[in-house]
Amino acid sequence: MGLRTILKKMKQKEREMRLLMLGLDNAGKTTILKKFNGEDITTISPTLGFNIKTLEHKGFKLNIWDVGGQKSLRSYWRNYFESTDGLVWVVDSADRLRLEDCRQELSALLLEERLAGATLLVFANKQDLPGALSKEAIKDALALDEIKSHHWCIIDCSAVTGEHLLAGVDWLLDDIAARIFTSD
Amino acid sequence: MDATVEMNMEKGFNGENCAPNIQERLQKRNQARIEDAERKKETKQSQSVAEEKGEYFSNAFNTERACIDELLSNCSGADRAVVTQKLEEATAKTLQLQKFLSDSILFLTPYELSKAQAALQKLQSSIAETREEAMPKKKFAFRGRTKASDKVSAKASAAAPRDSAVTKVDGAPNPKQCGFTNMSNELLTKTAEEVLNQDMLLTHLTNCKVRLYGTPSTLHLKHIDNCEILCGPVSTSVFVDHCSNSTLVFPCQQLRTHHTTNTQVYLHVTSRAIIEDCHGVSFAPFSWSYPTLHEDFAVSGLNRDTNNWSQVDDFNWLAAGTPSPNWSVLREEDRKTFL
Repeated sequence: MGLRTILKKMKQKEREMRLLMLGLDNAGKTTILKKFNGEDITTISPTLGFNIKTLEHKGFKLNIWDVGGQKSLRSYWRNYFESTDGLVWVVDSADRLRLEDCRQELSALLLEERLAGATLLVFANKQDLPGALSKEAIKDALALDEIKSHHWCIIDCSAVTGEHLLAGVDWLLDDIAARIFTSD
Repeated sequence: MDATVEMNMEKGFNGENCAPNIQERLQKRNQARIEDAERKKETKQSQSVAEEKGEYFSNAFNTERACIDELLSNCSGADRAVVTQKLEEATAKTLQLQKFLSDSILFLTPYELSKAQAALQKLQSSIAETREEAMPKKKFAFRGRTKASDKVSAKASAAAPRDSAVTKVDGAPNPKQCGFTNMSNELLTKTAEEVLNQDMLLTHLTNCKVRLYGTPSTLHLKHIDNCEILCGPVSTSVFVDHCSNSTLVFPCQQLRTHHTTNTQVYLHVTSRAIIEDCHGVSFAPFSWSYPTLHEDFAVSGLNRDTNNWSQVDDFNWLAAGTPSPNWSVLREEDRKTFL
């Protein structure tokens, strides 16, 4: 039995996953986190630093890191890359003016070797807004089809209504679980 | 063994027979020692895995690396489909190599590890370079909707590089988004019905007075100069970017202000306001009243009793205790009321 098998078994026993949630400021990262956890979302302030939440879902223990997206915080994102199983990239679907920014930040992240093994979930958030772009438009704008280095999926959602949040997280967990817990 | 012992006992005192006897014993002991060493070597070999050797690792790593290098060098000049396929293969192989390295970390020396990591990084960047060279990024743009009949031809030409006639995202008009853009010297108003639950966008306004009655869902202001913008309760966030010499008046849940100078904000904020890359921004409590303001607050869901207008976080000034020089509280005698 190799060491890798042992480590895998240990992780399986704990069934623990580390998810990192990133995106531009005002994308709705904290709102997604709190809504998913069933907390009040009307008192959320712009994130000055990061939030971490540990919660149980589908028998997994999820450690979700939500790091602030302001420009001055982005250089600190790297401090959170280590042993990330899943990357959640949150997009404000109505913010057309910063889609190019959004694409650049995401593609830079995907080159990070410490995120090389992570599954990517893109949340096309704020679908409750009348001006929100569809997930297809976001997929094109972020050039997701060009991503060959990561498993990825885009889900349209609304953190305010909670729509599709569960679907997104479920897909992410299934993909990660298939990768770390069952493949041998 | 028994035989030897017996022999010893029988002939123990016989000096003549002693020499060959000892020689025999020594030989046997030597034999046993060699066998023992052999056995130990064997067990040791069966325990250690060939894969967990630095040498094996560097051999395998280098072979794989050479293979990827060759894939990449074959890309130049090849046609697009071939390049795509080769790049994909190279990317997959690089990923595998990365995995191989991660799995081998435990038995590698730090030197070997850093050497391998550097090599991987080089591979990744040369993949990126080759990709960039062989197929430049498609520029994203919105186009008019293509009719069903156009779709076939659109698909056929999809592989060809896009023409330059496409508009950039920045300038894309959006029929569904509500707001004003590229205006100067005007009085602009929207009614409660127009604004209700919309994502409002105001861009490139100069010398304008804007009145938005009612409760939008969110509000974005970008490239605003010398304007006075008043808005009813915004139920979620307000995002301000590149605004100068202006007066902004609104209630909201969150406010993010970027690249803004010499601007007054009359604010009702139920969570927090932040500034980033701003100078000379001053804050005062929201002071606009219009007939349906009370109802609008109720519609927006904002708490009228909670106003944190004076608690502004500056992302460029994280020293606790010393106030940020980038913003201030507007002096009471300088505050205005809007009607």
